[in-house]
Amino acid sequence: MDPSVVISVEGLVKKFGNFRALDGLDLQVRRGEVHGFLGPNGAGKSTTIRALLGLLRTDAGTAEVFGLDPWRDAVAIHRRLAYVPGDVALWPNLSGGETIDLLIRMRGATPSGSRREELLERFELDPTKKGRAYSKGNRQKVALVAALASDCELLILDEPTSGLDPLMEQVFNECVAEHTARGSTVLLSSHILSEVERLAQRVTIIRDGRAVESGALEELRHLHRCKVRAVVTGTMPDLSGLGGIHDLTVNGAEVALSVDPHSLSPVLAALAAAGLAALTSAPPSLEELFLDAYRTPGEDIVA
Amino acid sequence: MSSQSFAGTAILVRQVWRRDRVLASVWTFLLVAVSYASASATASLYSTEAARVTAARAINASPAIVALYGPILDVHSLGEFAMTKMTVLYAVFVAVMFIVLVRRHTRVEEESGQTELVGGTAVGRDAPLAAAVLATSVIAVGLGILTAVANVAGGLPLTGSLAFGGSWTGLGLVAIGVAAVACQFSASARTCASLAAGAIGVLYVMRAVGDTSQEWVSWLTPLGWGTRLRAYSGTRWWVLGLYVVLALVLFGVAQLLRAHRDLGAGLVAARPGRTHAESWFGNAQALAWKVHASTLLIWSVASAVLGAVFGAIAPNLGDLLKSSQALAMMQRLGGTGVISKTLIAAELSIIAVVVTCFALSVVAHAGADEAAGRTGHVLCSGSSRWQTFAALVTVAFVGSVWLMTVIGIFVSLGYGIAGGGLGSAFADVVPAAVDQVPAIFVVAAIGVLFFAIRGHWTVGGWAALVAFLTLGQLGELLQLPTWVIDLSPFAHVPAMPVSDFAPLSTAVLLVVATGILALAWASYRSRDVV
Repeated sequence: MDPSVVISVEGLVKKFGNFRALDGLDLQVRRGEVHGFLGPNGAGKSTTIRALLGLLRTDAGTAEVFGLDPWRDAVAIHRRLAYVPGDVALWPNLSGGETIDLLIRMRGATPSGSRREELLERFELDPTKKGRAYSKGNRQKVALVAALASDCELLILDEPTSGLDPLMEQVFNECVAEHTARGSTVLLSSHILSEVERLAQRVTIIRDGRAVESGALEELRHLHRCKVRAVVTGTMPDLSGLGGIHDLTVNGAEVALSVDPHSLSPVLAALAAAGLAALTSAPPSLEELFLDAYRTPGEDIVA
Repeated sequence: MSSQSFAGTAILVRQVWRRDRVLASVWTFLLVAVSYASASATASLYSTEAARVTAARAINASPAIVALYGPILDVHSLGEFAMTKMTVLYAVFVAVMFIVLVRRHTRVEEESGQTELVGGTAVGRDAPLAAAVLATSVIAVGLGILTAVANVAGGLPLTGSLAFGGSWTGLGLVAIGVAAVACQFSASARTCASLAAGAIGVLYVMRAVGDTSQEWVSWLTPLGWGTRLRAYSGTRWWVLGLYVVLALVLFGVAQLLRAHRDLGAGLVAARPGRTHAESWFGNAQALAWKVHASTLLIWSVASAVLGAVFGAIAPNLGDLLKSSQALAMMQRLGGTGVISKTLIAAELSIIAVVVTCFALSVVAHAGADEAAGRTGHVLCSGSSRWQTFAALVTVAFVGSVWLMTVIGIFVSLGYGIAGGGLGSAFADVVPAAVDQVPAIFVVAAIGVLFFAIRGHWTVGGWAALVAFLTLGQLGELLQLPTWVIDLSPFAHVPAMPVSDFAPLSTAVLLVVATGILALAWASYRSRDVV
């Protein structure tokens, strides 16, 4: 097994009755990276995570975490990772502090030797409240403090900031950055694209239980179209004859279009020849990659 | 309180009925069917009035049976005799149904946040409680009518059957009130359930005490009113009014308490918890014990009190019977010493069923933990499936042994202090109590098996308990074949301390329980955890 790969999933299938929640999923997470795991609701993100944690038995394909089998070696794997679910349920009659200590100890660490106190302060969490009294965001903080308190090789975060306010999101980002600086790997499932763009080096986008895009953010951007907007001083050139152009709209002297990377030069040359008054071009945001990947095959481009 | 605060009650009432359509229907059907079976079977089992009167006298002469079912006030009444088990014992199941229903629509929804969701719509503050009370009250009336019809169909007189159905409706209304009040006290739905069940337990014991000693005590508890209504022998209709008045008072108290607390809060403000966990608190086993600690404490205290009261009743029964001709009969059967022991054996068999409820509630809790995602936390933090499974089984099983032991000790104490002889009581009663444990294990193991197949199937354990209970209570009445009756593990527990210890049946029960647990583990280790 390649020691630089922490999570390796190939052709994973999980069926619930007739429904294929995972339908041949591939996923590779390398040591030391923050890997963004993106997909719409019901795409299979949480199912993947639950399979990686050995909570679900899969029907076909292989999954390895640290080169171990998640179903057979669940406990050995869990000692080396920490997991924060998207919807954190706490024991109603245990205080936050008790829950944090319990989770830290079950992972084989000691609360006193951990960053528990520092994190409680940074997340502004009161550990004496009972589980039932916490808000959604505070329940999430309990799980985050427990997960981040001791060093682990892998953090699995399932939409971890969905209940946090912007200030706490900032604290979360810092904590994840510090965690990776210490050599930890992170699998970050999220809907919040800006968060993934800021934290992740590589992303996998899934839909209907299958990976539709995977790679470094730069690579994905290279593979994708660039948005160009220009105002010309002379006669508007006829761009429709050039290949690799999409969504072309002309409004008097103003033109907007999307262009494939290989057609960018001829397009810019044609526009420059007509005389440029204004030109903006933007690399696709993750949002656009996301929409691109989600569009059902055959559906026309609308966005 | 304004009319606006009740806005939306009608919609919520329909919502209650919709959500309860299966649970309430099945439960109502079972109760009505059992009542019908009792009514029709009695007429065919006792062909002559003389045979029936003799049997009724024998019931009244047996304090064990009177303590469990209440006395038969008119031994000549067919209806009263036919309804022996229905009047008090099955009335308890009526009460339990309404406690379950009311709690489901009040505190459980408040704890899980649905009340808040509903409260954000154009629904008044007082509507949820009002809807739960109103909707379940209608179910109580329906249950009473159906029961009356079933009894008439079973061959009992119309007037008496109406009165009897009225007593079940009345007790249902009281139980709704008890549950509505109990659900205001604590922010925890579990604690509220314990409070309501505890209240019913206290009312039942008061009636047992009253029925076997001072009758006025039975007048203090709604569970004693069913007997004193004399449904089938000169009905005292006004007794039905007692139920209604008490229920209305309880509804009012519940509404008052609700108005004085915040949504989601109990009456007592939540105390802050510990900043740090105790040093031993760091594995699945410790977690399970800590989560169940307060419940186990409540159960232990209740067991101790109930045990002491039940034990204290027993030695005085010999005196009570001196005047009656029944004494002669009982002495022919083996003497007054046997009477008190018969009572203790009967008490222990009922208590065993109640303690089984503790074990099943632990299993149900494991199902709820899994559904909420808490089991996921534990399993993803370095605990193995075996550790979580073992923790569940340990709490359910060791907890049951502990509770039966507590009961044995306190029944002995009560019995000894009331004059039955302390030394011999310990020697007789504690082993008799502990001997109930293997039967509890079998039912608890069935519950664990259902949980191990699917996390949300824990209701299967309760169904098994109800089935076994029905077999035990009605098997002979319905003249079911012996092997069917023997399906119930409780049928294989000897009636200690009257009967001798039966090592073989104890061993068989233990082996069966172990086998079911092994199956459960095989299923749990290989299934998905949601």
